[in-house]
Amino acid sequence: MSVVTPELRAKFDQVVSRYPADQRQSAVIPLLHLFQESHGGSLTTEHQQAVADYLGVPMSKVHEVTTFYTMYSLKPRGKQHISICGTLPCALCGCKDIVEAVQEKLGVAPEQVTADGQFSFQVVECLAQCHQGPVMQVGDTVYGNLTPESAKAVIDALGKKQ
Amino acid sequence: MTEHPKVLTKNFGDPAALGYEGYVANGGYLGLKKALTMQPQEIIDLVKAGNLRGRGGAGFPAAVKWGFLGKTDGPKYLCVNADEGEPGTVKDGPLMENDPHQLIEGVVIACYALGIKSAYIYIRGEFYKAIRIVQAAVDQAYAQGVIGKSVMGSAFQLDIAVHPGAGAYICGEETGLLSSLEGKKGMPKLKPPFPALKGLYGAPTIVNNVETLACVPHILTLGADAWNALGTEKNGGSKLYCVSGHVMKPGYYETRHSITLRELIYDVAGGLKPGRTLKAVVPGGSSSPILTADEIDVRMDFDSLGKAGSMLGSAAVIVMDDSTSMVRALDNLMHFYSHESCGQCTPCREGTAWLHKIMSRIVDGRGEAADIDRMLDITGNMVGNTICVLADAAAFPVQSYIKKFRPEFEEYIQGHKRLSLLGHREEPATVGAH
Repeated sequence: MSVVTPELRAKFDQVVSRYPADQRQSAVIPLLHLFQESHGGSLTTEHQQAVADYLGVPMSKVHEVTTFYTMYSLKPRGKQHISICGTLPCALCGCKDIVEAVQEKLGVAPEQVTADGQFSFQVVECLAQCHQGPVMQVGDTVYGNLTPESAKAVIDALGKKQ
Repeated sequence: MTEHPKVLTKNFGDPAALGYEGYVANGGYLGLKKALTMQPQEIIDLVKAGNLRGRGGAGFPAAVKWGFLGKTDGPKYLCVNADEGEPGTVKDGPLMENDPHQLIEGVVIACYALGIKSAYIYIRGEFYKAIRIVQAAVDQAYAQGVIGKSVMGSAFQLDIAVHPGAGAYICGEETGLLSSLEGKKGMPKLKPPFPALKGLYGAPTIVNNVETLACVPHILTLGADAWNALGTEKNGGSKLYCVSGHVMKPGYYETRHSITLRELIYDVAGGLKPGRTLKAVVPGGSSSPILTADEIDVRMDFDSLGKAGSMLGSAAVIVMDDSTSMVRALDNLMHFYSHESCGQCTPCREGTAWLHKIMSRIVDGRGEAADIDRMLDITGNMVGNTICVLADAAAFPVQSYIKKFRPEFEEYIQGHKRLSLLGHREEPATVGAH
């Protein structure tokens, strides 16, 4: 079965319509996002090939994009992927303690998935939330002004929501 | 004490203003209405008279940039740079999340003035909320006839599309952004030709920052004189600043360009934590040369900070108190720039990587006394030798941190003062956060 479901295909068609008819490659980034969101936060070779086929661009052009941008993952991620900002403003506000707390709470190293498949985390560069550092982002939610305790509490709450 | 105008942020905190009706009720789209009664060149002249400077960081006069747009019968584009990511910068995200129609109004006016029929809003991928809000506002603007086949009943036609990024600092550089919008790696392109002549899909293109465009409706409604009165000479209008780091009230604030860095830190952002003294301040995003505690009586406009040897940049103030290790702070930034270099130009790819490696070994206690001058030497081979300014952006902090805090680097290397970023005496760090 194709990885492009009819529902996804309808979304693809809508995205591509935003660009000139001869500039379908422009849709690579948004289409990869749609795949990644609908497939548990990571991409497979099959997904990249499907984007290439759908847009009529070489697979290499798609793979260049998936490997250049940090939001794409070619390795499985947890159902909830936590991005902790490690850049200067957050670092000045103690993000190192947040990273340690999250690592201790989850019991896995960065980019590794917990045994139950629920969580993974990574340290990322500036999330442009410097006014509320230290911050971490899970999906579309930003958690600011974190302490080690509040970061752990966020993980507890997310775990219960499953 | 400076009085703080609320122009760009007047709708902040009013959820109704996220919608078309609420925005209009607060006086929205009056600037566009006025613009549609004017000749395009009159609008460009007005923005020029309003001394609007590019607020992505360069401070280049917006109307002059507009004036470079190539003449063509084919397509031309406006691309909104919403790839906010210069460390310390928080303004474009709030502008989109709190008042998306203000941005759309600015886009429509700019496109009308420039005869552009297609605009893309490139929003960094991590900004899920801003993407959702701006997309909803664009959909509403279509439904209300603000954009589409007939802009507000006029003969002018405009399409706007929202395009997400996927995580790359370099896409904030305007030609990197265009590469990314074309579906490629976000690698900057050699200039000239500038995007105004050869940009998106090879067509004439203007790339403007979110805040720059958000200012445009107010120049139309207030007029150039009232708008200029909010700013300083050649720096028109009020301005959004973000203050982060070691202050009591970190946040983003709208105020006047005439405010000094001292007032911004102590009066607006609540000053330092009890018992702490000021050590250093980054005035305009992590790339801007650092200032010491006795250099903060400077006005926060493009020209004053330039004269002070730094930059207003993206108006991102990062405050460091006396607990901060400048060595560890610079190490953090070198990790950032080496990670974010796109790898296209050798001086940047190699330079940022070597700076990061040298800083890492200094931090780990394996530094040599010669490393300090070695880093300066490396920066000398980076600045001005690359396609875009990421190399310069990485070099400026190295040069300024070493120039202003050299003894601290020497003491760290000699092992007398080996501290964590926040001033704790410690052994080399082993955990993720750099």
